[in-house]
Parts: sequence; C-alpha cells; structure tokens
Amino acid sequence: MRGKGLVRGRGLLRQDLAWAAFLLVLALAFGLGKHWSLVSLSLQGKLTAHLEEMRAQRRQKQFQGVKTLKLAQAYELFQKGQSLFVDARSPQEYAELHIAGAVNLPPQEAEKPNNPAIADIAKERQIVVYCAEAHCDIALKVAEKLQALGFTQVAAFLGGFKAWDEAGYPVDTSQ
Amino acid sequence: MSNRKQKTENRKPDSRKPSKTVVWFLLRLLGMALGGIFFYAGLMKHYHNWDFAEAVLAYQLAPMWLAGLVAAVLPWVELIAGGLLVMGLKRRSCLLLIALLAAAFLVILVVTMARGLKIDCGCGLFFQRQVGLVAIAEDLALLAGALGLYWWEWKAVSSDQGPGGRG
Repeated sequence: MRGKGLVRGRGLLRQDLAWAAFLLVLALAFGLGKHWSLVSLSLQGKLTAHLEEMRAQRRQKQFQGVKTLKLAQAYELFQKGQSLFVDARSPQEYAELHIAGAVNLPPQEAEKPNNPAIADIAKERQIVVYCAEAHCDIALKVAEKLQALGFTQVAAFLGGFKAWDEAGYPVDTSQ
Repeated sequence: MSNRKQKTENRKPDSRKPSKTVVWFLLRLLGMALGGIFFYAGLMKHYHNWDFAEAVLAYQLAPMWLAGLVAAVLPWVELIAGGLLVMGLKRRSCLLLIALLAAAFLVILVVTMARGLKIDCGCGLFFQRQVGLVAIAEDLALLAGALGLYWWEWKAVSSDQGPGGRG
C-alpha cells in the first residue's frame, strides 16, 4: 500500500513539474510579448543608458528647481572648504563612512520642524547634499526640503558617496 | 476503571483537535494568501517594469541581456503562479514555481548581503526596503509556506486522504 502511494506520489510530482514548466513557458511568452521594448534594449546593450535617460527625465520633472552637481564640481566645492556637506543616508551608513566633515540629515530628520541639526546653519551657506549612489533620490528630496526651509544655495551631488569613495576623495568615520 | 476500558477511552477522537475539513480550509486560505502576495508583487513589477529592471541591474549579478529578460518575464511568473493559486487552479505546480522563485531569491539575497551591497531589494511589495536580514526572513517565510503547502497537498493526494483534490 505504502509502495503504491510512493509510486503515485512520484508520478504526481512529475506531473506537477511538467505543469510548472508549462506555466513558465507561458510566463516567458507573456513577458516577451508585453515587455519586448525592454528585452530588445537589453539585448542591444542599451538598457542602462535608457534607464539613466528615463531617470534624468523623471528627476527633472519631480525635482524642478533643485541644482545638481557632478563629482568634479562637488570636489571643487569641498576643496574650497566653504560648503557644508550633508549626508542624506541612514545614520548607520553615515557612521560607517562619510565624506569628511559631512553632517548626517536623513529625509525623516529633514522633515522635522525646528530641527536643531540645521537650525544653526546660515540660510545663504552653500550646502551639498548626497546619498549612497547615482540611483538614489533621497539627496534630491533633502535638497528640495532644505530649499523649502529657506536655504538659498543648496545643490544635490548625484554621484553620491559611492562615486566620491571610488575617486579616493577624503572620507571620515567621525560623527 | 479497568485497563481495557481506559485504553478504549484513550482511542476516542480528541474533540479539541481541529477536523480535517477545518485544516483543509485553513491551508487553502493560506495558499490563497500566498498566491495573493505573489500576484500583487508581480502586478507591481509589471506596472513599474523599468524600475524593476533598474532593481535587477543593481544586484550586479546578471549580464544586461539577462537582466532585461528577467525584468520582463519574472513579473509574469509571479502573476500567473500567484493568480492561479488564488483561483485554486493547478495549485501544486504554482506552489512549486513559487518555491523555486523564493529559493532562487534567497540565494541572491544572501550573496548580495555577503558582497556588502546596500541596494533596494526590488521585492515589489508594500514598502521599499534594502537587502538585509528582514528581506531574508520574509523570503524564508514564503519559501517555507510554499514548500509546506506543496508537501501537504502532495501527501493528501498521493495517499488519497482528505479533500486534497485536483491540483
């Protein structure tokens, strides 16, 4: 009886796997049919460039009026020593490593009214906000928030900490 | 009370134990919930397909052509497996597919964590979260749910027990 059940069970597993394979083929057909433009771009090696273009367009719409900086521009400001660098990542990421001299201001902190972390900063001081890497939007969100709070010289450094660290520019672990 | 009488009483069905139909109903409900989760995740990935492609690329595990293919096909695997599971059609095969997805994703999460990449998990559920222990725990729960339900259905049908049914 038990042996019979086992044989039946194995047959059942084979049948289930066959149906699973069929459903997978169905998903492949739907996926290719519905998202052919995405597959086609990836096969041509143009997916990353297309995604970057889409991201830039979306950011332009979503964060209108927020000035952005490239790595070289951010480093130039850093060398002048007049700018305040604001790290918009989480406190844990900030504590691990951050741009030398930067202060930590995650988006949820920037939202708080009368935040002591930014209360002492002159409204006309040059501020450079950054997050983890080029894909993250929180630097733009924090920069937008700071602008709304009345800071006049705010810019978002889009390369983020990753680009800065990879370039070998000064980093720090102190709070 | 004699020993024989006591043994007979011990064999009486325990009224506190849930009946087979209740267990069957609860497990079916669990299956529907699991299917619903995957259907919803698939739907989010389908409607935000370019964002999902970006999330796949961020893992830096697959070449670009494969990342594009995954971003196009994976939402449909989730939609089909999740949707059919909710409807109660081809349940065991859908559970196998879901277990396969969860197992593969578990490996990817562990490898990504070991590489120290701090990226969004791209799970397509109710809120954004980074690759980390929470995402791994969620994935383990889904994997355990899918394998457990499959085992229960497989056992019920292969031994002709209970209302396991045509899956």
